[in-house]
Amino acid sequence: MENTFVVTAVIVSNIYATMRICRRLTLTASNAKALAMQAGDSAAGFRPLTDYINRYASITTSSSAQINEMACELSRIATEKDKTDRVLNHLSKVYKNAYDSPHLSSMDVARNKIRLRQQALHDAYTQLLQSLNSELDDMSGELRSANIVVTMSRIEALQATSIHQNALNNVADNVENVTESIKELISDAQRLVIELKKQSQ
Amino acid sequence: MKTHKLFENDTHTWFMFGRDPHKPDKIIDTNQYMVVTNENALLMDPGGIELFSSMLTTIIKSVPIEKITHVFASHQDPDIISSLGLWDQVLENSTLHSPWLWEGFIRHFGMQSITYSPIPDEGERLTLDGVHLDFIPAHYLHSSGNFNVFDPTSGILMSGDIGAALESDEAPLEVDDFEAHIPKMKLFHQRWMPSNEAKLDWVRRVRELDVQMMCPQHGRIFKGENVAKFLDWFENLEVGVLNKK
Repeated sequence: MENTFVVTAVIVSNIYATMRICRRLTLTASNAKALAMQAGDSAAGFRPLTDYINRYASITTSSSAQINEMACELSRIATEKDKTDRVLNHLSKVYKNAYDSPHLSSMDVARNKIRLRQQALHDAYTQLLQSLNSELDDMSGELRSANIVVTMSRIEALQATSIHQNALNNVADNVENVTESIKELISDAQRLVIELKKQSQ
Repeated sequence: MKTHKLFENDTHTWFMFGRDPHKPDKIIDTNQYMVVTNENALLMDPGGIELFSSMLTTIIKSVPIEKITHVFASHQDPDIISSLGLWDQVLENSTLHSPWLWEGFIRHFGMQSITYSPIPDEGERLTLDGVHLDFIPAHYLHSSGNFNVFDPTSGILMSGDIGAALESDEAPLEVDDFEAHIPKMKLFHQRWMPSNEAKLDWVRRVRELDVQMMCPQHGRIFKGENVAKFLDWFENLEVGVLNKK
């Protein structure tokens, strides 16, 4: 596995891509609402679904924004932790090579302080990794429920006049495609988070 | 890394660190300096990341770490101060003296604990336990914001890149034959130093000081008459030129 801070940066990049895709979902939700209005009574059953698509877009957008913040913080902590790991590696060499120095013990205060900082960063990192894992699981749950909306949208599209059927099916396709893209990115992020969790144990 | 005591009296001691046999290949050999007074120490141009553990190992053979209360960076180059982010984690209550021009740049090396004390263009004096150390302007020699350190008591001028020579890390500590040393310095000064005007101004000001020893950041130390020889040579050298060997 690559360096921790590189992996966290990849997670940040995945989540950022998710945020961008979520914008497409928001646009799809607006289009769906407008289409349902145009289709009138023939798409009466589709209208409540547009509220659901809207809510789904809003939840995935806000969740991915929150996850993005967590992933950025995780990346920052991982980088800070790497810096303390490096300085402690340097200090190990100093303790080894300056064993006969009359002033070696003067390094103890600094080394203990850095060790404490390393531990604090490790704790913060582990805790944030756990929270990030939970948030990603929650988002996966939301994504699963999107499949029901897609199926129901297709059924309701069948009730609409032929003029609107294609457009309503397009909405269902868009929701499905966006959901699949997000699923892939979230699944990748989950896999990386699990690897990081294993590594930090 | 080797330690050389350059000067000692009852108020302060000058150390030079360098000629590191364990230095990674392909990085330029550097000289680091330190002035130790009764309660404090000033570490000058502490070097790059690659030298950090070697420097720290060497320093704590001479002084306890808490004594390093001041650090000086003549300019912003990586061989001068890229180790800052590491020093920042081991030094308590320390101040970095460096050109005001480079503060926003040098902070990129990582600086959360150390305090940055910007040196104004005209230079300033640092007094440690009664020992005066002057930050002498050396702008455009080579960096556009650049200082030397002069100790009026010992007559030591830490001259940064001025007087630097490109040679092996086994080279002698001092210049013995000035004429033979010129080929090792010429290209460095012609290519790295951009301004003849700045050079002449620096030579004029340094001639007014009582310099006994000129200590560059690369290469060998100039003592006694070799200081005057260097000033004469440098005064007449055309700098800021390409492909002249």
